[in-house]
Amino acid sequence: MTYLLEARSLRKQYADKLALRELNLQIAPGEIFCLLGQNGAGKSTTINLFLGFVQPTSGAAFVNGLEVAVHPLEIKKHLAYIPENVMLYPHLTGLENLALFSSLAGFKYPAPALLDYLTDAGLPAEAAGRRVGTYSKGMRQKVGIAIAVAKHAKVLLLDEPTSGLDPKASNEFSELLRRLSGQGTAVLMATHDIFRAKEVGTRVGIMREGELVDVRPTTALNARELEQLYLTYMH
Amino acid sequence: MRVFWILFAAEWRHFRTARGLVLLCGLLLATGVYGIYYGTTEIARQRQQLAALPELTRRNVDELKVKFPGPADAGDIGYYHSTFAVHHPDAWAALSLGLRDVNPSYVKLRLLGLHNQLYATDNANPLKLLSGNFDLAFVLVYLVPLLIIALGFNLLSAEREEGILPLLLAQPIGATTVVGAKLAFRLTLVLGLAGLLSLLGMLWARLPLDGRVATWLALTVLYCLFWFGVVLVITAWQRTSAVNAVALLGVWLLLVVLVPSLLNLGVAAARPVPQGLELTIRQREEIHGGWDRPKTETMNRFFALYPQWRDTATIRERFVWRWYYAFQHLGDQAVAPLAAAYAHGLQARYDLVERLNWLSPAINAQSSFNALAGSDLPTHLAFQRSATHYHDSLRAFYYPFLFRQAEFTHADYAREPRHSFTSLAEVATARRGLPTLLLSVAALFGLGLLLLRRPIAPR
Amino acid sequence: MIRSIAQKEFVSIRRDRRFAGLSALVLVLLLVATLVGRASFRTLQQERQLAQTTVNDQFRNQPARHPHRVAHYGSFAFRPKSGLSLLDGGVDSFTGSAVYLEAHQQNSVNFSQAQQSGSLIRFGEMTVAFVLQLLVPLLIIFLCFGAFTQERETGTLRLLLSQGITLRQVAWGKIVGYSQAVALVVAPALALAAALLFTGEEFASNTDLVARLALFGLSYAVYFFLFVVGSVVVSATQASSRAALVTLLGLWIVGGIILPKATANLGATLYPTVTKAQLDADVHEQAQHGINGHDPHDQRAAALKAGLLKKYGVDSEDKLPVSLAGVQMAAGEEYSAKVYQQHFAALNATYERQNRLSDWAGLLNPYQAIRSLSMGLAGSDFAHYVHFQQAAEAYRYGLVQRLNGLQAGMGYGDKERRLDAHTWRELPVFSYQAPSLGWARPRLLLPVAALLLWAAGLCWLGLRLISNFTDL
Repeated sequence: MTYLLEARSLRKQYADKLALRELNLQIAPGEIFCLLGQNGAGKSTTINLFLGFVQPTSGAAFVNGLEVAVHPLEIKKHLAYIPENVMLYPHLTGLENLALFSSLAGFKYPAPALLDYLTDAGLPAEAAGRRVGTYSKGMRQKVGIAIAVAKHAKVLLLDEPTSGLDPKASNEFSELLRRLSGQGTAVLMATHDIFRAKEVGTRVGIMREGELVDVRPTTALNARELEQLYLTYMH
Repeated sequence: MRVFWILFAAEWRHFRTARGLVLLCGLLLATGVYGIYYGTTEIARQRQQLAALPELTRRNVDELKVKFPGPADAGDIGYYHSTFAVHHPDAWAALSLGLRDVNPSYVKLRLLGLHNQLYATDNANPLKLLSGNFDLAFVLVYLVPLLIIALGFNLLSAEREEGILPLLLAQPIGATTVVGAKLAFRLTLVLGLAGLLSLLGMLWARLPLDGRVATWLALTVLYCLFWFGVVLVITAWQRTSAVNAVALLGVWLLLVVLVPSLLNLGVAAARPVPQGLELTIRQREEIHGGWDRPKTETMNRFFALYPQWRDTATIRERFVWRWYYAFQHLGDQAVAPLAAAYAHGLQARYDLVERLNWLSPAINAQSSFNALAGSDLPTHLAFQRSATHYHDSLRAFYYPFLFRQAEFTHADYAREPRHSFTSLAEVATARRGLPTLLLSVAALFGLGLLLLRRPIAPR
Repeated sequence: MIRSIAQKEFVSIRRDRRFAGLSALVLVLLLVATLVGRASFRTLQQERQLAQTTVNDQFRNQPARHPHRVAHYGSFAFRPKSGLSLLDGGVDSFTGSAVYLEAHQQNSVNFSQAQQSGSLIRFGEMTVAFVLQLLVPLLIIFLCFGAFTQERETGTLRLLLSQGITLRQVAWGKIVGYSQAVALVVAPALALAAALLFTGEEFASNTDLVARLALFGLSYAVYFFLFVVGSVVVSATQASSRAALVTLLGLWIVGGIILPKATANLGATLYPTVTKAQLDADVHEQAQHGINGHDPHDQRAAALKAGLLKKYGVDSEDKLPVSLAGVQMAAGEEYSAKVYQQHFAALNATYERQNRLSDWAGLLNPYQAIRSLSMGLAGSDFAHYVHFQQAAEAYRYGLVQRLNGLQAGMGYGDKERRLDAHTWRELPVFSYQAPSLGWARPRLLLPVAALLLWAAGLCWLGLRLISNFTDL
């Protein structure tokens, strides 16, 4: 079985803090893995290690079977990323931003196709032609989603992607994730939203002080039980 | 490569929307055009002033023709007649005025001792000399680096500070490509501006399109590349925009202001120049001592230098012009070593600066531009030598009249030698600046690329 | 409350390593500039004093000569450096230091430092004034650009205001704190300069110099204060630290580099001057043909001769008790000197017009105000240079006329005779007295007014702008 995302004894030590302790993790195609944990528990560090933004102290991260530290550029062809706070070029329109980032990823879409990606992500069609500088955080987030989707990547790395989205948009985002997972995309998502993790995730992992302390399939628990489990680890 | 051009095109769109930067480029273009205008009008003004000098000589001759209606003693003419040694600018001086305002562009000469005439200065407003010339070379050497800094201080840090970098770096593109494309766009822009200004300047000043065009352009390109190299290194250093701005302006201040001014002090100390004051005082003593020395002593010393006049009549009169001019010349002879030491001292200072110009590309570029335009110290020293030769030829012209006691007629005025000196470009000096610049550019880009191999922090 | 904020700024600046580095650099540059300035001041001063003493001795020790020979032998005037020129060299490097004084003609002042330096001098000179006028403001900008933007970016500004103080109080607190920090850097260097200056025997008890130095220090204090307030105001009105820094640096470049050069060049283009050759020719022409062109030299000479003969009731030159040549020489010198003075005054008026552009630019650009004020106080500006030129010409004229007088007194046939060597000892030698502060005052009023206007304007308008700036 090939995993799209794999961490082998992944460890990140900062001068004053151990950010990640011996992480071992495998995520298969079609899986949606949700990372839960407090601020500073190591969720973002894990995602940054998979992105190659941070170099591991020891161990290795693999994307589509390629070691991140060895193939820093190659792996980025296989993954898409949505940060917690999507920031774009403010003086370009939503459409132009999407066109730019897609072309950097190697895709050249005609304008109607780009517009479709944006409206599918929930952006009102009239907003697509406006400058991003006038957007709300939620609207930028939607452009971020469109950029990720338009990349047709095998792996989706999400760092609290629904922060700033209203409940309806969050719900639509969950639908999108399910659709992508159905197409075989592997998703790693850091989130604070236990309810959504239960709802959309195939597995949840709980992190505490840089350690993945528990991993459960979501089918085994209901939302209340998951919250209870989370709280026990936090005490 | 495809990604490179996508980023390059994106940079153009970012630039177009950044009104401040467009304004800045417009401003640079405007100051450049003003610089060219100022340089060309200044050279035109100098040419006009120099062109008026023959008229002054003519008026002087007319006056003498009235004063001495018949054949005259050439001694009287030599005393009252003044003519000019003229230093015509090279057309290139319009782009780089150099020291043409500090040093006089003509010397008024009479048949008297040379050394209290040679160092006379022209009327000049010292505050203007202090403020310096606003020529194209100033715009290129001083202001273009500032534009490069303004365009490059947030090359990558702007994206980092605006939070765009994580999304950008999540795409399959290398840091070198991103930085390279951004740098290449700015380089194209700046070189386009600098090249445009240079060509405009060359056309405006109607320069002869000789080999100097290539040298000027090569200097401009390398000098711009040097500053882009600095931007590259600072970018690869990966600090915030504010720190970058401070660091880049610091480098500018160091290389364009502090190193030159400290070097000026150092060179003045390392190559002391015998003061001109001593020279003029000595010369006056020698010349006026001539009145009090026995005439035979003076004449014998003079004949040792000019044996061809030895057979002329022994002087018995109380005053005779040939004796007067003999001790004038002996006064010059007495201070010749001092004058040579003064000129050598100045040249030595210049040479030392040229040898140390790798310390600052700004010094290198400025002195190379000046050398191309023939507007620096060596040219002025060459003019002084030429003026000295002219004085020699004047003496050679008058001596037969004086010693053979021939009459000086009105027709003889036209036979008097004339002088004209045009600045010579020191192309070799200018070209010597190129390898130094090239080397520092290579070193900076090497260092920058080395630093860029470290991973770029997205936040 | 202002005091607590000032205290906070002062403490945090002192703890900032970047500030320590930059201010150490500025301090070192100030010290280097002071020491170098003193060294070069001493060398130049000694050179010129020695030269002046030499020529004065030579003049006094002349053998028996005819006075007109002495007038042609002439003398030199060497311009002594003013005391404060070691702090601000002003235009000194671009003006000559020696002028040959002789009968019949006014020579140029020769041998300037700039002519001995090559194009390097065009990059500026490392003087105390240069550090104070351009580098210290840069330090202030680096220090203050984040005054408000940083507090806004970190959110501490809201916290401060929620404690019940006003934006204006925050601004004043910052201004006071930053000013203290700047004083910490600049004051020691200025104190050292003053100490160096007044321990030298030449200025030990010179009250004029003390007054000049005191005003010098005071003007720079105002100048730095301007930059502190200005930077704080800009920081308050800009959206981000980056924007504030870029705005301030842009202003620094325009004010410190582009404007001074542009105004000087523009002045020269607007008000052209004649060459020395042209001026001398015009003077000669007018001396020959009369100022109005209808009073030729020969007619004047003839009239003078007729007048003398009539005055002494004689019919020929040889019966005159005075030497006709001497009297005519004196009249000619008087006439040509008058013509020269007219032309020289016109030339200087043109220069003044050229420079006025820079002076008025001081109202727009504090750098140009402090530059002209500082030079004026240091005695190294254009006006002081002209004062020297005029003193030299006055001495030349006086000397030549005394010699002409001596010649006239020798009576007919003076050319065959000489005057005793002791005659020359009784003639005054050139000794230059630099003008007092009171003389310089009228020219300093405009830059002083410009600086004070800026200070008042910034304090009033700028701080109003801050308190109206509600966008946190």
